[in-house]
Amino acid sequence: MVKFSNYVEIGEPVATAAGIAKGVAQAAEKHDNMLALLEDLGFPGIAWFLKNAPDRIVECGIAEANGAAVAAGLAAEGFMPFIYGFAFATIGRAYNQIRQSILPDRFNVKIMAREGAWGGLGISHNYVEGIAATRVMPNLVIVNPADAIEAEKSVMAIADYIGPVFLRLEAGFASPPPLKIFTEDYPFDIGKAYTIKDGEGATIIATGYMVTEAIKASEILDKEGIDIRIINMSTIKPLDENAVIKAAEKTGAIVTAENHSIIGGLGEAVAAVLAESIPTPMVRIGVGDEFSQSGVITEEVDELKVHFKLGAEDIALAVKECIAKKNQLR
Amino acid sequence: MAHSEELIRELEKKANVVRRNIITIFEGSGSGHVGGTMSVVEIVTALYFHHMKLDPKNYDWTERDRLILSKAHSCEAIYAILAEIGWIPKEKLTTYYRFGSPLQGHADRWCTPGIEYSGGSLGQGLSFAAGLSLAEKLKTQKNPPSEFAKKYMTKYITKYNPAYRVYCILGDGECHEGQVWEAAMFATKYKLDNLIAIVDYNKYCIDGPTTEILPIEPFVDKWKAFGWWVTEVDGHNIRQLVDVLDLTNNLYGDGRPKCIMAHTVKGRGISKWEESHSHHSRGDEVTEGLKEGRIKYG
Repeated sequence: MVKFSNYVEIGEPVATAAGIAKGVAQAAEKHDNMLALLEDLGFPGIAWFLKNAPDRIVECGIAEANGAAVAAGLAAEGFMPFIYGFAFATIGRAYNQIRQSILPDRFNVKIMAREGAWGGLGISHNYVEGIAATRVMPNLVIVNPADAIEAEKSVMAIADYIGPVFLRLEAGFASPPPLKIFTEDYPFDIGKAYTIKDGEGATIIATGYMVTEAIKASEILDKEGIDIRIINMSTIKPLDENAVIKAAEKTGAIVTAENHSIIGGLGEAVAAVLAESIPTPMVRIGVGDEFSQSGVITEEVDELKVHFKLGAEDIALAVKECIAKKNQLR
Repeated sequence: MAHSEELIRELEKKANVVRRNIITIFEGSGSGHVGGTMSVVEIVTALYFHHMKLDPKNYDWTERDRLILSKAHSCEAIYAILAEIGWIPKEKLTTYYRFGSPLQGHADRWCTPGIEYSGGSLGQGLSFAAGLSLAEKLKTQKNPPSEFAKKYMTKYITKYNPAYRVYCILGDGECHEGQVWEAAMFATKYKLDNLIAIVDYNKYCIDGPTTEILPIEPFVDKWKAFGWWVTEVDGHNIRQLVDVLDLTNNLYGDGRPKCIMAHTVKGRGISKWEESHSHHSRGDEVTEGLKEGRIKYG
C-alpha cells in the first residue's frame, strides 16, 4: 500500500473545469477589477459574471492577437483581465502580442489556455508547445495544476499575485480525467513544488495530468518493491530548483513526466538545474519531436497514451531505466 | 471657435524646436528612423503642446490624455517633446540607442517617463489603445469624472465626459497588419468614441510605396466600412490638425471611434530625406541631412 504525504487523498476523478470555474467565481468576488476576456470559447465561471457583473465580461471574438493587446491596455488602467482560450491561439497566435504588449511592462494579465496531447481535434488543437513557447519569455509565471482542487486554488493564487501568468489548462482539458489528488485544505503556493509521496529509489517530477500517471506508476513500482518519490511541479516558472536539487541528492535518479513536448518543457527545465548543480541520471517522459494527432479513449485503449508512451507503465519502465543508470555510476 | 494666428505660429515654432531636438538625437546616435519621425512632428506637436490634457509636473496624472505611439519607431519625435516638457533631461537626447538610456530604440514605457506603450512590433498599439479606452468607459460608468476634471474639461464637453481620451498614432504601412483591423472592429463594437486614431499617411514603407507593397487603398473607405468616423487632413498643417482635433471633442457621445487620416511626407523638413523617402538613413545621407537640419532648425 502506497503511503502519500499530508494533504493528499487519492480519489475518483473530479472535473478540472469545475475547479477552475469555482476558483474564477471566488477570485472575481474578491477582486472587483477582474475581467473575463472571452475569445469565442465560453469561459469557465462565466455564470458568476453573468449573474453578478455582466459589465465585467469583454468578448473579443476570434481575434486572439487583438484580445491579448486589449488585455494589456485594460491592465495598464488597473483591471485584471483573465483571458480564456486554446493555447495554440491564445499563446501560439498571440505570442508576439504577449511578448510585446503584456510582458515588458509586467501587465497584470492572466492567460488561461488549454493545451495537451490528448483529444480528437487533431494537430491544430492538440498543442504541446505552450511551455516551450512561454518559458523563454521574461516576467511570465507559468502554472500547471494537476487536479480540480489545485486548479481552483491556483486560480485564486494567480489572482492574488500581481503580474502576468500563464495558467496552463491541461489536466482534464486535453488529457484523460486526472484523479482527485489533494484535500480541500491543501496549501497551494506559486513557485513551490509539493512532494506528494516521499521515497528513496528515484524521483518522478511531474506536472499537470502526468501527476496522475506518476501516482499510478508508484503503485506499480511499489508492488515490485521500488519506493519512489513524487514531486508535483505545478509551477513551471519560476521553477522550484531547491526541490529538484533535494530530490537529486536524496534519490539520485530523476524522471520527468509532462503532457507536453520533451523539447523546451519541464524535463529540459529540470535537466538544466541538474546539469549545473548536481549532475544526475534522468529520463524524460513526454511527447517526442512530433505533432500530436486525433485520438480517442475507449474501454479497450487510450490511443494517444499508447502512441506517445505517456502511461503509468511507461513511467514505471523509465524509473527502472533511470535507477539502472544510477547503479551503473556507483 | 477659430484658433488665433498667434497660437498657430507658436505651435509652428514648437514644431521647429521638436525638429531641432530630433536632429540632436540623430547626431548622437548616427542613425535612426528618420523618415517616419519627421513625418509625425506636426501631429505630436499639436497633441502635446495644445490639445492633450496633461500635467507637466506629473507625467503619471491619472486623468491625463493617453498617447499610444503604435508606430513606436517614431519615438524620436516623442523624446524630442518629452525633453521640452521636462520629463526627460535634455542632455539625455544624445544617448539614443545607448544602454541604460531613457531613449530606447523603440518607445519603452518601463524606461521612459511619459511613454504610455512599449512598442516596436507593429500593429498592436491600436488594440492596446482600445483597451485603455474601454477601461475608461468601464471606470467612468462606475466613477464619474472628478469635479476638477469636469471643470477643466468644460471647453470640450458635449454629451459625454470622458475622464481621459486616448490617441493612437499608426503608420500607413503598419495598417498592413491584420490586427489593426481586428482592433478596428473591437473599437466599433464597444463604441469607443474616446479613442482617436491618427494615421501618419506618409505613403512609403521600407521597400517602396505603401500602396504598391500591399494595396491599402481605398484607405479612408476601409475605416468607414469598419464603422469609424473618418476625416482627412494635411498632417503638416498645424491649423488643420488643431481644428480637426477640436472637432473630435465635439463628437463625443456619438459612439464611434475616430480616425484622422493625416497626409504627410516622409522625412519632412530635410530635403535629402524627403527626396529619398528613406525609412532609416545611413552614411552620407544622414550626415548631409543632419547638416541641413542644423542650419535650418538651429
